[in-house]
Amino acid sequence: MASVYTPPVQTLIDELGRLPGIGPKSAQRIAFHLLKVPADDANRLALAISEAKDKVRFCERCFNVSDAELCGFCSDDRRDSSVICVVEEARDIVSIERTGEFRGRYHVLLGSMSPLEGIGPEQLKIRELLSRLGPEGVEEVIVCTNPNTEGEVTAMYLARALKPLGLTVTRIASGLPVGGDLEYADELTLGRALEGRRPID
Amino acid sequence: MSELYRDVGVVLRTYKLRESDRIVVIMTEQNGKVRAVAKGVRKTRSKFGARLEPMSHVRLLLHRGRELDIVNQAESVETLAPLLSSLDRASQGMAAIEAVDQLGLEREPNPRLYRMAVGVLRTIAARPAALNVPAFYWKLLSAEGLEPQLDACVRCGETEPDVQLVSIDLNEGGVMCRACRSGGPISAAALAIMRDIFDGRLNQALALEESPATHEVGALATRALEHHIERRLKAVAMFERH
Repeated sequence: MASVYTPPVQTLIDELGRLPGIGPKSAQRIAFHLLKVPADDANRLALAISEAKDKVRFCERCFNVSDAELCGFCSDDRRDSSVICVVEEARDIVSIERTGEFRGRYHVLLGSMSPLEGIGPEQLKIRELLSRLGPEGVEEVIVCTNPNTEGEVTAMYLARALKPLGLTVTRIASGLPVGGDLEYADELTLGRALEGRRPID
Repeated sequence: MSELYRDVGVVLRTYKLRESDRIVVIMTEQNGKVRAVAKGVRKTRSKFGARLEPMSHVRLLLHRGRELDIVNQAESVETLAPLLSSLDRASQGMAAIEAVDQLGLEREPNPRLYRMAVGVLRTIAARPAALNVPAFYWKLLSAEGLEPQLDACVRCGETEPDVQLVSIDLNEGGVMCRACRSGGPISAAALAIMRDIFDGRLNQALALEESPATHEVGALATRALEHHIERRLKAVAMFERH
């Protein structure tokens, strides 16, 4: 069936429909919303997209997303450069920053090792991490990969690679989410929570 | 056509789906390989938690769908902790379930394959022996009806000590003597290990430390299984390099 919309509208709907989680019906709704709002509002969105695509790149040191050679965390002198927190994706940094508990620097691997998909250490930014350790005087590496099979495999591989270099390698703890019920905890998580228990002062 | 059913199975693979869901591929006891959606598993407060990670052995309540089933409940049968306690165990476990995934057929009951998967994961959890995965691959091939002939030359039928068996050809289905030889070479030590695996002395083979002969058996097993399934095995290749 030929398109019932004029070509510009159809193109807009098609492009919107390619975004994650947006089906043809939602695409159509957003397209008509955009046509209805003032030109300024729509142009601001267009500008935001093209500017983000234009300026944002990976930080040369830690592979976080950045608008300069170095990202905000790498260029901030107040941060402790002796501790590096290794994460899978740039968005994980946001989660860790929200806790306000960490004042060191980051390193983004851009993925995790997945033997079943054939993603090995070469495809991740592990070599780049190793080359940072000496020049930056790193004393501790916190492995903050996801607590799933792929993240655990990545963590164990990193530990094996980093331990011989004589630094402290730590792994974030796993345990029960605050506000949850013990009844619904799975055995692995609850087991680890017990293993990592601490005295109450 | 709404239908609930129960089964036990081993999780072979997971794929991310939408915001926080996952598709899990499970080798079940009674329903063959099943693909099912687990809703919300990637959320921190998911009711499934770590129970649907690859290599998990779980008891499930599933809802039959047209293409994909839906996981309603999951309960651990065995804990996954030992398999994630070392890199060797994790990588061997991955290599084992990748093979099961390749051989299992969707909705085609294969209780034997399920039991073999559970068995190999238990063995790996107990001890990450050098030959865990190669022995498992050979056993899988043997279950598929492809046990190699190891005692006599496949072409002329001569046995040791009359002739020396020096090569193994996967197309011919076994070892060969010097006069008939084709395929790749096999050392006497590797041949002895292979006989242990097939003639009921598996424990002896699994007790062996890593050596050139165990590597040879490992490489042969990978090659034989890849030859059978006609594709490359990814997990094994990755860990052989490291």
